[in-house]
Amino acid sequence: MDPQTVEARVQMRVRQRAWSISLAELRRYPEVGALAGFLAVFLSFSIVAPHFLTPASLAGIMTIAAELGLVAIGVTLLMIAGEFDLSVGSVLGVSAMAFALMARAGIPHLIAFLGALGLAAAIGALNGWVVTRGRLPSFIVTLGSMMFWRGVLLAVTGGFPIAYEEKSLLMFALSGRLPGGFHASALWFLGVALIATLVLTRTPFGNAIFASGGNPQAARALGVEVARVKQIGFILTAVLAALAGIIQFSRFGSVDPLRGEGMELEAIAATVTGGTLLTGGYGSVMGTVLGALIVGMVRNGLVLAGAPAYWYRAFIGLVLVGAVIINLRIRRSG
Amino acid sequence: MSEGRWLVEMRGIIKRFDGVEALSGVDFAVGYQEVVGLLGDNGAGKSTLIKILTGFHTPDAGEIYWEGQPVRFRSPREARALGIETVYQDLALVDKMSIARNFFLGREPVRRIGPFSLLDMGEMEQVTRRVLEEIGIRVRSVWEPVSMLSGGERQSIAIGRALHFGVRLLILDEPTSALSIKETRKVLGYVEEVRRRGLSVIFITHNIYHVYPVADRLVILSHGRKIGDFRRAEVSPETVAEIIAGGMILPEEERS
Repeated sequence: MDPQTVEARVQMRVRQRAWSISLAELRRYPEVGALAGFLAVFLSFSIVAPHFLTPASLAGIMTIAAELGLVAIGVTLLMIAGEFDLSVGSVLGVSAMAFALMARAGIPHLIAFLGALGLAAAIGALNGWVVTRGRLPSFIVTLGSMMFWRGVLLAVTGGFPIAYEEKSLLMFALSGRLPGGFHASALWFLGVALIATLVLTRTPFGNAIFASGGNPQAARALGVEVARVKQIGFILTAVLAALAGIIQFSRFGSVDPLRGEGMELEAIAATVTGGTLLTGGYGSVMGTVLGALIVGMVRNGLVLAGAPAYWYRAFIGLVLVGAVIINLRIRRSG
Repeated sequence: MSEGRWLVEMRGIIKRFDGVEALSGVDFAVGYQEVVGLLGDNGAGKSTLIKILTGFHTPDAGEIYWEGQPVRFRSPREARALGIETVYQDLALVDKMSIARNFFLGREPVRRIGPFSLLDMGEMEQVTRRVLEEIGIRVRSVWEPVSMLSGGERQSIAIGRALHFGVRLLILDEPTSALSIKETRKVLGYVEEVRRRGLSVIFITHNIYHVYPVADRLVILSHGRKIGDFRRAEVSPETVAEIIAGGMILPEEERS
């Protein structure tokens, strides 16, 4: 072989190694699949749907993503810790209703807000207590919780929606319109996502969350208080669902007893699209942010593309399965 | 009483599960810088005894003395605080987490920034890298998931972790039963190293030939009772194997 060929071969091998290393590094980032899905969906709608790239459309996407995303961030943390919460949709409805009823009764909004969050925290704590104390599967416990609180909500309101005309500074801070058509909820969403990411990846508690879902026995043997970690996860998830519910109420000015129905599955879809494993121990909040944005884009983009809005769920289903396939491919490579 | 001789001493330990006696008055002790092989067939009571020592179970009767002082563990955390650490065969590490995160799990170094305690990632990387080098494991990055490592490497990392954090009593639960001969030898090498550094070790196994090369003493359990307690010099591995076999329901099965 002449020196040039040898040189070329060596270079090729170096390049190959660089490629394989970068693939191995990619695997450390759960959100890679979601990023690919995000770009694919974004580009497709940019081409297919007129007005998709206007500020009004992007703001609309952000508003949908923010409310779903806040719920999904809690669901993500809890799923990484190894538990499900199917009750988030009902908790969202109950909290929004609680806030509306308190506000209508003349209670100051800030107190009503804290009261509704406190109520959600109590429901979350109860979920967590039953799951960790009773050693029961959270899927079943929170399915029961979902039905129970939805039933309570329907019974208490008699099935009628509640409207509320007044506005307040708090409601503006939660979901007021900002310049460009964006809602304040976008800032809450990104802020919470940032804090949750920091907690998950840069604190001992984040480590405990990963360990509790990844291998609870090992975690316990190393002194991680798994039950406490999960308990906190359930409370956080419920409180975030309540925050999303009150944000949504502030936007609509009304709440009906079916508010939040189906949200639990959309939140799980956003979470899993974002690369979090259903089996726990692995995932990321930033992936979930992308997942929630994908849901928002699909919902808005289909309408702008002129497709009947009924197609929305079918599309989300396709995106979900597609993203999961990509995620698995990446994790298995190399 | 023999303070000064035992690091930990368990006396007359009794434990019942649903009326069935898993341990019927077991005495068990580990000296300073001593490697004790804890032997017995499945169901002999080895893991129940260890779970009492590590705070997972509370005994129905009996006392535990740590350096001569009576102690009572209400949780694994309390046992750990004294320096008792267990490396379980399959449960030592969290597979999906990175090597460095595993290494510091439950004992993370933090830097305080205002009211927040954030992980000291630099420290985590540096220490993990150094310990891996010491035990001769090469990895591309300490942020790779543990699932990339072999069974022996995982055991070694778990043992290296115990060494690094100044554990006093290291309990190895069947550390070699899933390993190749070469990897077993390596792990036994670390056990020697652990003793040299001043730790005491309980080595749980049902295979006398795995523990015999490193053990100072051999304790044999059968049906919740201690049926043998020998210094290594006093017995041959064959004798021990026979004692275990004699106490077993299926005599020839476990010999290998």
